[in-house]
Amino acid sequence: MTGFDPIPFAIPGFVLLIALEMAWARRRDPLAYEPRDTFVSLMLGLGSVIAGLLTAGIVLDLGTWLYGFRFATLGWAWWTWLACFLLDDLAYYLWHRAAHRVRWFWAAHVNHHSSQHYNLSTALRQPWTGFLSASFAFRLPIVLLGFPPAMLITCGALNLIYQFWIHTTAIGRMPRWFEAVFNTPSHHRVHHAVEAPYLDRNYAGVLIVWDRLFGTFQRERDDLTIHFGIVRQLGTFNLLLAAFHEWLAIAADVWRAPWRAKLGYVFGPPGWSHDGSRRSSADIKRLWREPGP
Amino acid sequence: MVPDSLVLAVLVPLGSLVAIVALSLLARSLGLGSDVRLRDPDEARALAQAADCAFRPTAISLDRAGLGALLADDGGQVILLRRHGARFVARLLTSHQGIQLERQFLRFALPEPGFEPITLDLGAEAQHWAASLRRLGDHAGARNEGLA
Repeated sequence: MTGFDPIPFAIPGFVLLIALEMAWARRRDPLAYEPRDTFVSLMLGLGSVIAGLLTAGIVLDLGTWLYGFRFATLGWAWWTWLACFLLDDLAYYLWHRAAHRVRWFWAAHVNHHSSQHYNLSTALRQPWTGFLSASFAFRLPIVLLGFPPAMLITCGALNLIYQFWIHTTAIGRMPRWFEAVFNTPSHHRVHHAVEAPYLDRNYAGVLIVWDRLFGTFQRERDDLTIHFGIVRQLGTFNLLLAAFHEWLAIAADVWRAPWRAKLGYVFGPPGWSHDGSRRSSADIKRLWREPGP
Repeated sequence: MVPDSLVLAVLVPLGSLVAIVALSLLARSLGLGSDVRLRDPDEARALAQAADCAFRPTAISLDRAGLGALLADDGGQVILLRRHGARFVARLLTSHQGIQLERQFLRFALPEPGFEPITLDLGAEAQHWAASLRRLGDHAGARNEGLA
């Protein structure tokens, strides 16, 4: 069984909701969208789908091979679906945290953050190089536990579909009980913000409880105006630069760095430098906490 | 007979491409992301500090049309703000390479792939800024890449 991937069937819904959000933006916030930015975001999404189609077979074969070494055979009961979804959401949290703390993973994930806009098209702004950064590796232990790879594929797809609707400024806050348990537009706006107190916070996919549990939760504050994007904004609508700029930057840094520092530019946190000339998110947070002159 | 998976592999990308063009045209026809300008120095300060939370500008000059701005702090650091679509991007300037003065205009063509050149109309202040920027030296943008 190869697994049911609901994403292709969700695409018409994505398109319809983006069109509806554009209609909302026209009346309430015309700067919420920028046509060139939207085009780049959606093309990154399409490229990600094509890259996924090209590499899905390899990932599925690897998962199926690992499944042969499983600790248990858990089957297709309702509770295994639930357990698989929860474990997959935890794996997503761990991958997402690594994607912001390790430059190799960030090089792919930065695509999702490089828009200065936060709308439903941003949700589809996905990396082309997820396979290269081995993001699938975080989900493989679930297969070893005994969950069928096909079940994992479906759960992962449902997780991504859930995350579509939270990429919007059109929704303020959900009811308190919902905000306490689930990832919401409010929580995820924090994640996409460049403001220092918001950096490296709210990594959740579906359940925000992982952030609360592991100490990475940050509530959206009413006294902070959010600027979306990355700390050093991309500054171009060039699709290829948007897709590959961080990989190119890694290559340039490794080329220039002394031998003892080369690995740091690949596997260190984004913004790390051997001579202290750059700022990681930890440096930025420290600077923000220090009183000004 | 063509397998379903092959149909999906062809139809999904093609259909998506049509939808992408349609949505981009819709955004344009609705007038979204329209002409954005800097309103005042406070807005420029907030944007610069969003890019560098430790930056405390003491001098701010806005382009007369609001397309960008230059900001400097007491330590001699200079940040360029430039319109990018419906938003603004900031760059810490570390070199005078690619910067040209023509009467009241300062043109910035930074040595960075994809970063479009911009010309700021700074009026009489352009000469003063040009002198400040010359002091930055010609180190090819080391701190220009300094922010993660």
